[in-house]
Amino acid sequence: MGEIIVKMGDLAVATGPGHVLASIGLGSCVGVALVSRSRAVAGLAHVMLPEAPTEGSAGPRYADYAVPALVRELAERGAPKDDLDAALVGGAQMFTFDGSTMEIGLRNERAVRAALESEGIPVRAAATAGSTGRTIRVHVATGEVTCKEAGGALQPLLRARTTTTTTQRSTR
Amino acid sequence: MSQTYSDLELDALRELANIGSGNAATALSRLIGRAIDVSVPNAVVLPLADAVDAAGPAESEVTAVLLRVGGELDALVLLLFSPQDAADICGLLDVEPGTVLGASALGEVGNILGASYVGALAKMSGLELELSPPQVVANMVSAIVSTVLVSHAGESGLAFMLDSELTIERASCSLSMMLVPTRAGIAELLDRLGL
Repeated sequence: MGEIIVKMGDLAVATGPGHVLASIGLGSCVGVALVSRSRAVAGLAHVMLPEAPTEGSAGPRYADYAVPALVRELAERGAPKDDLDAALVGGAQMFTFDGSTMEIGLRNERAVRAALESEGIPVRAAATAGSTGRTIRVHVATGEVTCKEAGGALQPLLRARTTTTTTQRSTR
Repeated sequence: MSQTYSDLELDALRELANIGSGNAATALSRLIGRAIDVSVPNAVVLPLADAVDAAGPAESEVTAVLLRVGGELDALVLLLFSPQDAADICGLLDVEPGTVLGASALGEVGNILGASYVGALAKMSGLELELSPPQVVANMVSAIVSTVLVSHAGESGLAFMLDSELTIERASCSLSMMLVPTRAGIAELLDRLGL
C-alpha cells in the first residue's frame, strides 16, 4: 500500500485505490484533507502558517495559498469543489506563553476555515486545538479520514463514502 | 535577506553555544553531583521539514522543556529527553518519573540549564536577556519540534538551531539542548560579536 507522506509546508493529491495520504506528528500545523464525495480522489495540505506576509513569499506552507491551490489541483483530477468535503486535524497549542507567537495553531485553524468558506467547501469533521500532537491519514479509495492523537486510539473523522463508483461483485 | 551564513559566522555562533552549554553542564553537574560531558555544538541549518525529520521518528514520544528568551534577543531554549533519559534523570534527583513532581523536577533542570546557558550568552554578547519559566510537555517529537521551529523560523522556511548534547557520566543518560533564535535574533548576535 502506498503511503504518501505530506511534509510540513507541502500538499499532495492522489487518485485511485491503494493510496493513503498522511501527515505525521502535527503540532501547531494543520492537516487539511479534501475528499471527493463521488470518486476516489483526495488531497492533503500540511499548513504551517496562516497567511503569506507578502505576495512574493506565497506558497503551500501558508493557509491562504494552500487551500485554493489544493482545490485547483483536485478540480484538475476530476473533483470540482462542489463535490468536496473537508476534514481538519492539528492546530494545537503545544506550549502556552503569554501573548506570544505560540498561538499559531489557533490562527492556522482560523485561516484554513476562512479559506475553505470562501471556496464554499464544508468542514465535516475536525480534531483541532487542544495541546497534543496528531497524525492524519486520508484513505483515497474509500474517502475515510482518520486522526490519531499522541498516546490515543485511532479516531474516525470522515467515514467511507456511501455513494461509490466502485462496484462490488457478489459471489454466489 | 541572505538564507545562508558564512563559515566564520557559523563558527562564532557555535562558539557562543559552546560556552553556553559548557556553563549549563557545570550547573547541571552541581545539581546532580556527577560529571557531565558536553559535545561540540552543531549549527543546524536545514529546510524546516528536514529539521523536523532529523529530530527522530515523527510519532516517537519525547519530554520537552521549553523556555522563552526575551529582552534583546527573541529565541527559545528547547531541551529534549527520551522517555528513558527523562526517567533516569528523575531517578538521579530522587523523584518518581511520569508524575507531577517528576515533570516539575525536569522543569527545574531546564530552568538551571537555561539560566546558565542564557547567562553566558548575555555576558558574551552584552545583550540584556530574560528567561521565562519552563514548560514541560511530553508528546510526539515531531509535534513539538515543528511547533517550536514554525514559531521562530516559519517565515524563512529555514531552521536554524544550535544543538548541544549533554551526557551524564556513569549514568549513560543524555539530553539535547537547543537554542532556536529568530533570524533577527541571529543577526543581533552576530552584530554584537562584530561580524
